[in-house]
Amino acid sequence: MAVPASGTARPSSTILQAAYGGILRYPLLVALAAVIVLFSLASPVFLTAANLQSILVNNVTLLVIVTIAMTFAVAVGGIDLSVGTAIDFASFAFVSLVLAGQPVGVAALAGLASGALVGAFNAVLISLIGISPFLATLGTLFIGRSLQQILTNGGNPVYLPPAGVPEAFRFLGRGTLAGIPVPLVIAGALILVATLVFARTRFGRVAIAIGIQPDVVRYSGVASRAHVAVTFILVGLIAAVAGLILTATVTVYIPSSGNAFLLNAIGATFIGTTLSPLGRPNIPGTVLGVLLLGIVANGLLLTGLNFYWQQVGTGTLIFAVLALSFARRRHAKA
Amino acid sequence: MTLPAHRPGAALSFSAIVKHFDGAQALAGASLTVPRGTVHGLVGQNGAGKSTLIKLLAGLHQADDGQIEIDGVEHRTLTPHLVETLGIHFIHQDRLLVPTFTVGEALFLGREPRIAGTPFLDRRLMQRRAADILDDYFGIRIPNSALIRDLSTAERQIVQITRALLDQPKVLVFDEPTAALVRREADILFRLIRRLRDEGVTILYVSHYLNEIEALCDAVTVLRNGRDVATLPLAQTSASEIAGLMIARDIGEMFPKRDVVPGHDILKVHGLQLSGKYHDVSFSLRRGEVLGLTGLLGSGAKDVLRTLFGLDQADGGTIEIDGQPARRLDPVRAAQRELALVPEDRRRNGVALDMTVGENLTLSSLKQFTRFGFLETARERGEADRLIARLEIKTAGRDALVRTLSGGNQQKVAIAKWLSRHSQIYLLDEPTVGVDIGSKVEIYRLIGDLAERGAGVIVLSSDLTELVGITDRILVLFRGRVIRAFASAETTPEAVLAASTGSSEVLRHVG
Repeated sequence: MAVPASGTARPSSTILQAAYGGILRYPLLVALAAVIVLFSLASPVFLTAANLQSILVNNVTLLVIVTIAMTFAVAVGGIDLSVGTAIDFASFAFVSLVLAGQPVGVAALAGLASGALVGAFNAVLISLIGISPFLATLGTLFIGRSLQQILTNGGNPVYLPPAGVPEAFRFLGRGTLAGIPVPLVIAGALILVATLVFARTRFGRVAIAIGIQPDVVRYSGVASRAHVAVTFILVGLIAAVAGLILTATVTVYIPSSGNAFLLNAIGATFIGTTLSPLGRPNIPGTVLGVLLLGIVANGLLLTGLNFYWQQVGTGTLIFAVLALSFARRRHAKA
Repeated sequence: MTLPAHRPGAALSFSAIVKHFDGAQALAGASLTVPRGTVHGLVGQNGAGKSTLIKLLAGLHQADDGQIEIDGVEHRTLTPHLVETLGIHFIHQDRLLVPTFTVGEALFLGREPRIAGTPFLDRRLMQRRAADILDDYFGIRIPNSALIRDLSTAERQIVQITRALLDQPKVLVFDEPTAALVRREADILFRLIRRLRDEGVTILYVSHYLNEIEALCDAVTVLRNGRDVATLPLAQTSASEIAGLMIARDIGEMFPKRDVVPGHDILKVHGLQLSGKYHDVSFSLRRGEVLGLTGLLGSGAKDVLRTLFGLDQADGGTIEIDGQPARRLDPVRAAQRELALVPEDRRRNGVALDMTVGENLTLSSLKQFTRFGFLETARERGEADRLIARLEIKTAGRDALVRTLSGGNQQKVAIAKWLSRHSQIYLLDEPTVGVDIGSKVEIYRLIGDLAERGAGVIVLSSDLTELVGITDRILVLFRGRVIRAFASAETTPEAVLAASTGSSEVLRHVG
């Protein structure tokens, strides 16, 4: 296929044109490769195994789980601003029950249930009452923040004393399976399952359809409101998984700390969706988006830039994604 | 009539133009020659390639193959700007004029005359030139300070034409110019076109309306399936001859009505009412029967259809499906009771434009292709391919976005998604609106198929010829009540129209 004359293209630049076409076809992979090359040139430490593992453990594992949750919300045409609330509630229930001497399994189930409960609250607001996801989850975010202040007497952290940390709890946060950190294994499993859900299940297909054209789904005799409700409960549940891992890693619950993931999760989902071939929310795109954000954050730190510059990196990345998707649309049109 | 002196030869010449969009062929070697100083018609069904040809000429797309000559000079790449400098202008009803501009600003946008030697706009000159043209050609006055958004469609079109005339155009292309005009306005337009032709302007006139082509054009080119099938002088050609070339199908086959012996009642509606919409609506539908429903806007016919599919809830009355009462229907339950709705607003409610053909085809029957929640993708694809083949849906394949399909093929997708669900009662709301003639006939045939297989079909349509042609019975709603029932074989579109507009005996009935 001929690459369109973009005004500056000359006949001799066919290799450049092919490269340009390649960038537009696989924008995420190319962007990922670009930042990796950039930072390995900028810092000798970047490409070391220790650093790469640190990226995965510190910058990617939890964020990828939260972003998968966000991807489900975005898939049904919504957004969930209260993922942090689900993380916090799960974390609070988990720590409190372990502290009270309950078995770790029971405490974990209670944590998951708490996250799902936050999702169920959103589901009622959105599917039953008909509030837009943005406003519904914004309300949940505020209410959740306040509740946590009340539950912790004004925001006191809940610590597990080092002596009182059960083995299973420690394993969840710091253990390894075949040399791989347990949180990473869980994240990997979630990535696989979520990918399968979108690619291979009726639930995933209908979710995508609702996000693209909700009226058609309704007019096709499909229970779209019930689907949206289940989706938001699922979002809370997945976010709760992140909450459990977070707590198990740091052995403390800090009120409202889950909100730290919110903007990055939205950013990564947006990056993955915008640059996917069909412009649909999708798990591989989400994972690449998280990796991009994680690598940029880590790389900027390594190059000795002040920590405060990190978000400039994230912002720039999002603009770059916008520019790329714009170029791609023009390319496709010509 | 004496033609003015103009150089002989072609103002426009397309030869063997080929153009693909996403793998679908829009033009397959179309040629068109427009002699200077003539009015040349261009006709064809939707999807025949008319608009693609016009867009190529406008420089909005580039042809894959073939030659375009303008005034005898070949142009390989056309841009909108180049085309305008060559003196070719386009008049289209949808063509946007900035709504918040004044008439004067819109007319002179981008070529404002200046007071000699200064950077200042020569408002007085602008005023005068615009007024001259408006008065001379249209005999009307539109104040230069009026806003575009306050003008009628006809007036906006006049502004567009005036803008073109200010440039002293060589070629004017009219793309469906009368679609939004009333009769009187269209007459003004026709007089203008003849006058421009006599002044030496070449006109390319694209229209669906064959009577306009017959009245206006010197010659006409018929496009079909991306090719020019004939170019005929109108002095020796009739409208029906042109129609025949467009369709290439016997008009008698237009309504392929089947004779199906109806079975038992599949749907019974008794005393249905929704206050403010309709009252006391009772009818029954039998297996194998095609029931027509019609009425003016606000007659309640559309609301009855919505109620049957559970989009609205009736205040009173009963609905029985296959002998069982159906209470509190919603779209999910309606679909479970084997009802299917093909909504009027296809692009909004009927098909998901940004999903693939395959995804749309199985959207409502997805459960059948699911085991333990997982899609059986091979079976799903097979079903999509089977439906594409059975309904002859023209698409690059099941993975093409529905957005890339023509209106008729989108509609086939909207109907087909119910076929894989084995729906038994089809509610079709204006099923052939915005569909080309060829696809219309295929949809009629499909309706016949459904009836033959024992489904009950309700067709709501305001195209009464169609309704009389394809249904067994017709119910006419007027102000929320069923005021007449016709046996389709014994009535005419005119009689149904009279009933639906509430004339004569009807008024007596309603009081």
